[in-house]
Amino acid sequence: MSGYFIRRFLLIIPTFIGITAAVFLVMQLVPGGPVERQIARYKESLSERGGGRASLTETGLPTDAVEELKKFYGFDKPIHVRYGLWLWNVIHLDLGRSYIYQDPVWDVIKSRFPVSIFLGLTGFLLSYLVCVPLGVFKAIRHGTRFDFLSSTVVFLGYSVPGWALGTALLVLFGGGSFWSLFPLGGFRPDNWEYLGFFQKITAQLHYMFLPVFCYMIESFATLTILTKNSLMENLGQDYVRTAFAKGLSERRVIFVHALRNSLIPIATGLGHVVSIILAGSFLIEKVFNIDGMGYLGYTSILQRDYPVALGILVISSVLLLVGNILSDMIYVLVDPRIRFR
Amino acid sequence: MSQDKPSSPTMNAAPPRPALSIFSRRLRKFRSLKRGYYSFLIMLIAYAVSFLLPVLVNSKALVVRYQGSYYFPILRYYGAATFGQQAIGETDYRELARSFREEHQANWAILPLIPYSPVESLLDLPGTPPHPPSWQHIFGTDDRARDIFARLAYGFNVSLTFALIVMLMGNTIGITVGALLGYFGGKLDILGQRAIEIWSSLPFLYTIIIVSSIIVPVYLPGRNLVLQPSFWLLIVILTIFDWMGITYYVRGEFYREKAKDYVGAAIAMGASEASIMFKHILPNSLTPVVSFAPFMIVGNIGALVALDFLGFGLPAPTPSWGELIGQGVENLNKWWLVIFPLGAMFLTLLLIVFIGEAVREAFDPKEYSRLR
Repeated sequence: MSGYFIRRFLLIIPTFIGITAAVFLVMQLVPGGPVERQIARYKESLSERGGGRASLTETGLPTDAVEELKKFYGFDKPIHVRYGLWLWNVIHLDLGRSYIYQDPVWDVIKSRFPVSIFLGLTGFLLSYLVCVPLGVFKAIRHGTRFDFLSSTVVFLGYSVPGWALGTALLVLFGGGSFWSLFPLGGFRPDNWEYLGFFQKITAQLHYMFLPVFCYMIESFATLTILTKNSLMENLGQDYVRTAFAKGLSERRVIFVHALRNSLIPIATGLGHVVSIILAGSFLIEKVFNIDGMGYLGYTSILQRDYPVALGILVISSVLLLVGNILSDMIYVLVDPRIRFR
Repeated sequence: MSQDKPSSPTMNAAPPRPALSIFSRRLRKFRSLKRGYYSFLIMLIAYAVSFLLPVLVNSKALVVRYQGSYYFPILRYYGAATFGQQAIGETDYRELARSFREEHQANWAILPLIPYSPVESLLDLPGTPPHPPSWQHIFGTDDRARDIFARLAYGFNVSLTFALIVMLMGNTIGITVGALLGYFGGKLDILGQRAIEIWSSLPFLYTIIIVSSIIVPVYLPGRNLVLQPSFWLLIVILTIFDWMGITYYVRGEFYREKAKDYVGAAIAMGASEASIMFKHILPNSLTPVVSFAPFMIVGNIGALVALDFLGFGLPAPTPSWGELIGQGVENLNKWWLVIFPLGAMFLTLLLIVFIGEAVREAFDPKEYSRLR
């Protein structure tokens, strides 16, 4: 078994190289990179001064200056060399320097961790706290009016993406046209530093209610139905029949015997808890104007800040791959029937 | 599975029922699931009607009778001078119909039910856009004074067509790859699965945005337009990153079906490998494809709306729901910019989810037996 997981961890390496190489290639082929950006900036300043230089290239810059710019950003080397260099630095935990912020990429990304972890963790915990009991309850009451009504809610939740619901909630409750119950976005109020402890808690709740709700909606339907179906399947098993036959109470059969087994598929999802560091959905963060990881990724793509965009990709893909393996490990831990070879 | 019991002599009052194929039994089951079946009929009709939109929602007149002769502006371009209007460019048919009514002569013009085009800025409206809902514009207008109802209606057709094509293309690739992996197995299978794992480890929307951000209209110095965003380009991009899901299921089905007797029979008859795979095994492996298809459409519409919202979607004047929601987030006190497109998307997706639920129930039923 440990051999299996060692092999799995080793397989991260080719997968990681595959992912980053694909994205690196795409990014480097893009026009509008840092060199072109600097040239454009230089041209602007040139036209402001109204003067010109003698030997200008097609781009309006002295040839040697263009070469210097290319050298500065590493664009003077062929693409596979650039990728090799970049990968070499990544192995040494150096993600490079942001073109826009002029800071090391790791520092830029690190500064967004608190927001993302806060949002990710609350959304994650809340969705498990709501969906699992709801799914269990639906399974026990299968076919009743409660099951039917809650299924309707589940369908509604599945049909509208969380971020899109967020826009509607903002319009309705953000004080634009209807009720003014919640702030229009942002992570914390401006006067955060001056608030007392309890005020901080209420302010944070006030600001985070809608975004966290939207995070929850994203996984609400799948998790609830997964729980329900899993428990339903177990309730039809022979060991449940045996438990009933030996005279156990229904409560005990369901909650002690069947429920434990039916939580196996749900527990395996826990492996992806490592990904919540980067849980920022840029859609939700854009809607609610929260300056988190997702928004950083989005703006870095818009501004062609490749070191940051690649850095986020590196961290998120490593976390995803590790999360996959962790999920399998949890699977083995909670279900002794599973053998990976 | 599809055998009927021979009718026993005691039950000969009932006429022998013809054996139903597995497909027609599933179809019958699907029809019996009312919520999904009616959702399917509604979507089918709505989608069919949405192809008639140029006749229903358009700023061009259907028929004009002017000085004794008939014109069909819906089919042809007529300059403003044709009908005696003092303007440059195409005739303003709403204005034309109004003046005809005032003149009380034999001239007349029949306009579509909603006489606004989705790409037409109504600059003569009082006030500044976006205009709130009114009797002329039941859903209001957007920030470029375009009628929101018209944009939503055309957006429905665009979104659904987009999602259907991406689904069909993704399934074609996914089924082919899954079939090859499952049928041939061995080294091809191992290598193929690794490649698919790499490909599906890419964060979906993030990668699509990176790729789409490249395809802004690109003018290199001294050269012409190199690449520009278009409907088909976006379809290709989305397909490239979204065909993997179905391969696992098709691969599994092929793996299982390959061992069955009818495949052996086909081999014995000397059928070619392609014919065994796609003529014999494939029809028996389509259950997961069919039951996932509606949910793939839901996912594709969601992805398109998200991309349009972020500004990486369809090129500018294309009527789109996501673009309207994006406008709404910029103007939160203009509620009609958010609520109506969101309602349209929500209603569409809900109906498709209902269809998907019924299809899954009919094609892949899970019977739960509750003991006690």
